[in-house]
Amino acid sequence: MDWDQFDLNPKVIAALKKADIKSIKEILNLSGADLQRLMKLSSADIQCLLKTVSHMLRRSSMLTALQLYQDKDHRTSQHQKLSLGCSVLDNLLKGGIPLVGITEVAGESSAGKTQISLQLCLCVQYPYQYGGLESGAVYICTEDVFPSKRLQQLIDQQHKLRADVPAEVIQKIKFGNSIFVEHAADLDTFHNCITKRISLLLTRGMVRLVVIDSIAALFRCEFGASDSVTKARYLQTFGAQLHSLSTRFRTPIMCINQVTDAVSESEATQCGSSVVAYSVSPALGITWANQLLMRLMVSRTPQPERPPGVVSHHTGSVRTLRVVFAPHLPPSSCYYTVKMEGVKGIK
Amino acid sequence: MQRDVGSLPLAPAVRARLVSAGFQSVQELLETGPCGLSKEIGISKEEALEVLQVVRQECHGDATRTTARSGASRKCTALELLEEEQAQGFIITFCSALDNILGGGVQLTKITEVCGAPGVGKTQLCMQLAVDVQIPECFGGVAGEAVFIDTEGSFIVDRVVDIAAACVQHCHLIAEAHQEEDQLKALETFSVESILSHIYCFRCRDYIELLAQVYLLPDFLSEHSKVRLVVVDGIAFPFRHEFEDLSLRTRLLNGLAQQLIIVANDHKSAVILTNQMTTRIGQSQSTLVPALGESWGHAATVRLIFHWDNSQRLATLYKSPSQKESTVPYHITVSIPFGLEIASCKGIFRHTDKSVNYVFLVLLFSSLMNITGNTGMSPDLLIFCTFSL
Repeated sequence: MDWDQFDLNPKVIAALKKADIKSIKEILNLSGADLQRLMKLSSADIQCLLKTVSHMLRRSSMLTALQLYQDKDHRTSQHQKLSLGCSVLDNLLKGGIPLVGITEVAGESSAGKTQISLQLCLCVQYPYQYGGLESGAVYICTEDVFPSKRLQQLIDQQHKLRADVPAEVIQKIKFGNSIFVEHAADLDTFHNCITKRISLLLTRGMVRLVVIDSIAALFRCEFGASDSVTKARYLQTFGAQLHSLSTRFRTPIMCINQVTDAVSESEATQCGSSVVAYSVSPALGITWANQLLMRLMVSRTPQPERPPGVVSHHTGSVRTLRVVFAPHLPPSSCYYTVKMEGVKGIK
Repeated sequence: MQRDVGSLPLAPAVRARLVSAGFQSVQELLETGPCGLSKEIGISKEEALEVLQVVRQECHGDATRTTARSGASRKCTALELLEEEQAQGFIITFCSALDNILGGGVQLTKITEVCGAPGVGKTQLCMQLAVDVQIPECFGGVAGEAVFIDTEGSFIVDRVVDIAAACVQHCHLIAEAHQEEDQLKALETFSVESILSHIYCFRCRDYIELLAQVYLLPDFLSEHSKVRLVVVDGIAFPFRHEFEDLSLRTRLLNGLAQQLIIVANDHKSAVILTNQMTTRIGQSQSTLVPALGESWGHAATVRLIFHWDNSQRLATLYKSPSQKESTVPYHITVSIPFGLEIASCKGIFRHTDKSVNYVFLVLLFSSLMNITGNTGMSPDLLIFCTFSL
């Protein structure tokens, strides 16, 4: 850190150099009294130093809520969301997945978690006007191999799913080319993956979506019941890293999570699942839930009895997508099915 | 002039030299003069001049301060304090039960901490308060502005727009029922745009930025003197990772709390902090407790814990100097926790069954009762309000 650039009294700058303080972080980590002792300066000088340094760090970062609301620039606006490629599901989520923050989809196996995330990997590649982000996606697999056959199927069927997008636009996008698949089977590989490889891709602007399928698989095998403190620390570190990637690059992070059977009702409610009828709760407990912006849950819905004479026009079983918590959404839900061409909501 | 040398804002080393050389009061220093001083305690003449400059400034400052304040803030009787506190007013939460346990709403000049599991409604309360603090005085509000420091990226402006629209509409209903001039006049300028433009948002990505922001707050609040609410949502997130050295964390958190107390006191504003919950593993069973450890528990004056009991949201007042510990259920109207969004209620009425409608009316009613409490509206008018929906 070059202290000479700061608008400070030369005496203070000299003292900074003499005290061997190298960064703003170091200054802010010390208390006022410590700084006085270290730099041999009066408290007024230290106050001035702290204010100048803070100012340097924050510059003018203030925005009023009105500025945020009226912001139409798609690089900074909060209105920009990542569409799920289906108007019913987008309506449920008021436009789609928010760009900054970690979104979780939890559900039992075969509920459709992977289907939703595969669809997102394609949706992100559409132009802004069709709800996409004009960029690719990273798909981090931690348990299964990447379902590339299904991806191919989805790509071939895109024109059916996205009837709202002109055919020539769809044809122009080379969907398969910008989905990067990473495999990370243990914590160290995963850590390496998110700190080095992913941030490289993000810096180059090649991707605007990170999918982690699934976060729970990393933790379920390695940790017993006695290592809960280490486990919590890992979860917090990963949460923080993903958070900072998301904020720096305005990139949504999509985490798939498994569910556990709720041992008791009180424990189920701790994690925010408010409906008692659901006997499962997302894995990884409250430490992970604290890192999330938004939690969605998917489940297969028991088929309701159809009145005789009405022929079902939905093929495949009906599933439910439920908003468990989100700062901008009420707890709500809608039905959807998984078809050949992708995930579709039912009105 | 009788001020003790030890209390001067000088560098510690200089102070120590002065004391060991036998200087006791400021008067003695001024009489000695720069040359004498430099000889006496063995510092350069320049330094001695600087010391004397500081001393003169301080004496001058002391004199002006005592005349300006005329002893009001330093020395006041308990009666004066009581009167001051009663005149201050509260920021109402729009949830009557919550207001009741808090003793009328969120108190100005105090730090209130809201703890709760994710998704229980902490951020919702913060956004609601950022809007409520701006309710004009004639409606029982404090007509202030709000600072929102967001560390988690959960400040979603669309949601604030919803809440603000509901609040404006609500005030319109009251004004229509009352037909009082000052209220109608106040509503001319009380719009969603004006509410939004008086919420100042700061996004802090890590704890360093948060610390820097809090150092800058006093200056910002002096420039924007109408700010009556400072929200830090949440305090826990930046401090719960990358800290190997927990004593450093405790020290920084205490420093932060100190700064916020100063802000709350000097600028007569309420400070709201949100905190996460963590699991404490006991011998027989584990319980959920607020994060950041035991010592952080002393930072806030009022501590409110939100939790779930099955599908019911409960708010517990855990710590308060003036109110007794109690728990109340708070409802979440389908799209608006705490808030009372009449427009969306209308929407809901259309496609929900009657029993749900009833719940909404009751909720609406209880919130309106709360407003009448503050504005002195009669219950008849209130029924009129409710049914004219």
